[in-house]
Amino acid sequence: MGDILVLAEHRQGVLRDISFEMMAIAPKVAEAMGGEVKVLVIGSGIDELAKKMSEYGVKVIAVDDQLFEDFNAEKYQKALSALLDDLKPAVLMTGQTAQGVDFMPALAVEKNLPYVAEAIDINYEDGTLKATRNIYSGKVNATVAFKPADTCLVTIREGAVEAPEPAASGDVEKMDSPLKEDIPYRKFVEYIEAEVGDVDITQSEILVSVGRGLKEDKNLPDIEELAKAIKADIAGSRAATDAGWIPHDRQVGTSGKTVKPKLYLALGISGAFQHLAGMKGAKTIVAVNKDPEAPIFAVADYAIVDDMFKVVPALTEKLKELKG
Amino acid sequence: MKTVVCIKYVPDTSEAEVKVNPDGKTVDDSRFSFDINDADNYAVEESVLIKEDKGGEVDVLSIGPKQSEVMIRMAMAKGCDRATRVEDDRIAEHDPLLVAKVLAGALKEKEFDLVFTGCWGDDFNHMSTGVALAEYLGVNHASMVKKVEVLDGKVRAHRELEGGLMEVVELELPAVLTIQTGINEPRYAPIRGIRQAQKKELNVVSLDDLGVDPAEVSVDASQVVLENLYIPEVESAAEFIEGEPEEKAEKLASILTKGGLV
Amino acid sequence: MMMRGMIMTTESQTFTEKYDLLGCIQCGRCTGGCPVTVRADLNVRQFVNDAYDEEKLDELARLAEIWDCTACHTCAVRCPKGLKPLEVLIGLRSMIVESGKVEPTVRDALQSVLLEGNPWENPRAARQDWMEGLDVRIAEPGEHVENLFFVCCTNCYDPRVQVTAKNMVKILNKAGVDYAFLPEDESCCGSEVFTIGEEGLFEMTVEDNTEFLNEFSADRLVTLSPHCFTTYRTHFPDLKFPVIHYTQLMDELIQEGKLAWKGELPKRIVYHDPCYLGKQGGIYDEPRRVLKSIPGVELLEFDRKRERSLCCEGGGGKMWVESESRKERLADTRIKNAKELEADIVAAACPFCVLTLEDAMKGLGYEEEMRVAEIMELLGEFVEA
Repeated sequence: MGDILVLAEHRQGVLRDISFEMMAIAPKVAEAMGGEVKVLVIGSGIDELAKKMSEYGVKVIAVDDQLFEDFNAEKYQKALSALLDDLKPAVLMTGQTAQGVDFMPALAVEKNLPYVAEAIDINYEDGTLKATRNIYSGKVNATVAFKPADTCLVTIREGAVEAPEPAASGDVEKMDSPLKEDIPYRKFVEYIEAEVGDVDITQSEILVSVGRGLKEDKNLPDIEELAKAIKADIAGSRAATDAGWIPHDRQVGTSGKTVKPKLYLALGISGAFQHLAGMKGAKTIVAVNKDPEAPIFAVADYAIVDDMFKVVPALTEKLKELKG
Repeated sequence: MKTVVCIKYVPDTSEAEVKVNPDGKTVDDSRFSFDINDADNYAVEESVLIKEDKGGEVDVLSIGPKQSEVMIRMAMAKGCDRATRVEDDRIAEHDPLLVAKVLAGALKEKEFDLVFTGCWGDDFNHMSTGVALAEYLGVNHASMVKKVEVLDGKVRAHRELEGGLMEVVELELPAVLTIQTGINEPRYAPIRGIRQAQKKELNVVSLDDLGVDPAEVSVDASQVVLENLYIPEVESAAEFIEGEPEEKAEKLASILTKGGLV
Repeated sequence: MMMRGMIMTTESQTFTEKYDLLGCIQCGRCTGGCPVTVRADLNVRQFVNDAYDEEKLDELARLAEIWDCTACHTCAVRCPKGLKPLEVLIGLRSMIVESGKVEPTVRDALQSVLLEGNPWENPRAARQDWMEGLDVRIAEPGEHVENLFFVCCTNCYDPRVQVTAKNMVKILNKAGVDYAFLPEDESCCGSEVFTIGEEGLFEMTVEDNTEFLNEFSADRLVTLSPHCFTTYRTHFPDLKFPVIHYTQLMDELIQEGKLAWKGELPKRIVYHDPCYLGKQGGIYDEPRRVLKSIPGVELLEFDRKRERSLCCEGGGGKMWVESESRKERLADTRIKNAKELEADIVAAACPFCVLTLEDAMKGLGYEEEMRVAEIMELLGEFVEA
């Protein structure tokens, strides 16, 4: 025993990054626990997805049924409830995503099992499974131990680890859906794509991105001038879009866009991990923030601890001068 | 519509220095400012907007200390009708499933159509309480909701997925929705409103009052153990640019141009 | 939160009675003198006229220009009937505040005053962080002191103007002045709360601060910001001691020969009269005498000086509300005037003036040849401490 059951996540026919990222964590835990990794793919018409997951050299269990054409938390909970009884894994792992958060806590309550949300790492030491969490605006880590249980439930933070490369081929085993009929009380209606604005920030070469530190929209002209000087597009953190300073389609982060520009200037962005997950693939990151403890500095290449309003106008002037 | 909105009083650590206490399990909160959890603030506004649109009542439910009453009075000043504050130091605060169990205990005798919570807590970011609460209550739920449409006997919730995609789901009422920030623009609670809200009913209750067995929601009852807290080492490879603001700007401008980055 | 005061105001007065609208003769001196008229579409006389119609109040309250008023009080100074036209605008703002539908920046500032005792969304616990490394005497209730200091939220928290308080402490210590600063329970004076129109919060502030301050024993309360100075003088009738501005104390110390100068400042300084110190407090000469006494200083005057001084647009809640108008900011006009005078330094004795004027100076690109300074900043540099 000691198997790790990883629930892969996919949407609109595509596996999401978190599914691969969990392949960096699950094998080491399985090894320590003396079990193996099994990947569960639930959906409809998922042969390709199952095969792709099997390329991590793991056994894939595919539950392929029309009932799972679209994600539905209630159906997932029912299916997993039955599968846990059946497979008895030591750990059930999935992503702390809009999908994972929508059913894992309910499943934990239903099955009366220990649950840790949003681990950034998991380890098995001296017979105890322990998760590391990152709390209080990313400034504190917490070690949380699972008490002994049939199955420990855990979700993994998106972007906490890098996805490994696929290693070897594995098998795909099809399993009948434990769920036999549709449920009437929760219906999937539709997906609504985010409105597309005039700029697609995922394609931008240079991004000037602002956060809560902008304070108010009257401060935008300074930012616009900097952006103009270096031919950058303007983006923002969730705080900046929630406040209405920046259009929603220019939000960088897990609930917005993942961007990979050549240069990312983070101004007054503290760097909540949801934001970091969306921009840490940028080639060069510059961060300006007055809080020296701001997590954004952990991913920055160049850092300035100061008031952005003192630095930005001067930076714009100098850049204009240097670029002639 | 009868709505219950669950809110939490949390420290603002976004710009504060955070220190772990010698017990290794708590942080020194003596220098923090506290306020309603950000997402919960949007949940309050959404509940009041629905009341203004559809009529009905809004109850506030919170677990927290006496000091948190200012937050509760503010919610009442905005339009919530009455409140229950659970104060009991036997609750395992680190475990969102047990927190949800307490909330469920407080709601078991109550009639409601909707229960709102914030979709995540600024302190521990579990994103678990609301969904666990729905399970305890045996009602439908949807998490990370950024638009709510109340229909006849149903609610249509727009869930915000990664990448800005919205997943629209329809739930039969009653239901628990966990509310995402940005769903609305929370209003200001004027002091006169807060003073008038002093007249509204605010019940302070313990686990015993709720009929919740403390042994079932205590630290011992939790299936997870908070072993320790620590400040992570920041592995920053960043080059910190020093000097007066203008010097910093000049150095950075030079790095960016010389490096061919702009 | 402090919420000791629980007094309700009488709501029976009509808007017309409250602001004495019938006392207005529509002479137009208010609008004629209003500095904001060149900056935005604000006609205060029209508002006083229109507000008489109670049915129109809601509509008036929704007009964006009510937020353009900087509460400089020029209109009140000029009104031949002794009315305060600006307070009509504040009354209209109150209606918006009571509805809760204020700008998020205003909402957050007001809420921060309630929860943390300052409008800058900083924790109360950090209020005295500026004192680090300084030997500051802290007041004890009942223990008499000649000069009791009220620092002001902006001076406490804004790193740009903390120097005002820091230099004050050093100079007081050296000059052997009997003084003490208030403990960290010191809370916002409510100046901006009043002008934003949060009447309930302002009433509470008056009550709570009166009770808090009256626990101390002092000959006078010395304020570092003109906003606190005017607010305490005009809105706190039950305060036990008189209120002065720090420039008055510095003037006294200089007259008494208690400050020793070091070095010279051979610069052309133009003094900007803060509205809350001059027009509203009648303090015009003391700051000028203080500046003139710095060895080497040549003191210049703006054309618009003293009662006619041009507002910097820092007051009236404007730190949290941006005008919809894109016309030139008054602070820009002011700095350009200073440039025409070939001033090296624009000196002010107010944190808001320093912040807005310095922004304007930098925005105009005059950093190389001009400096905006708090008077205390200059004293810190040229007084032995």
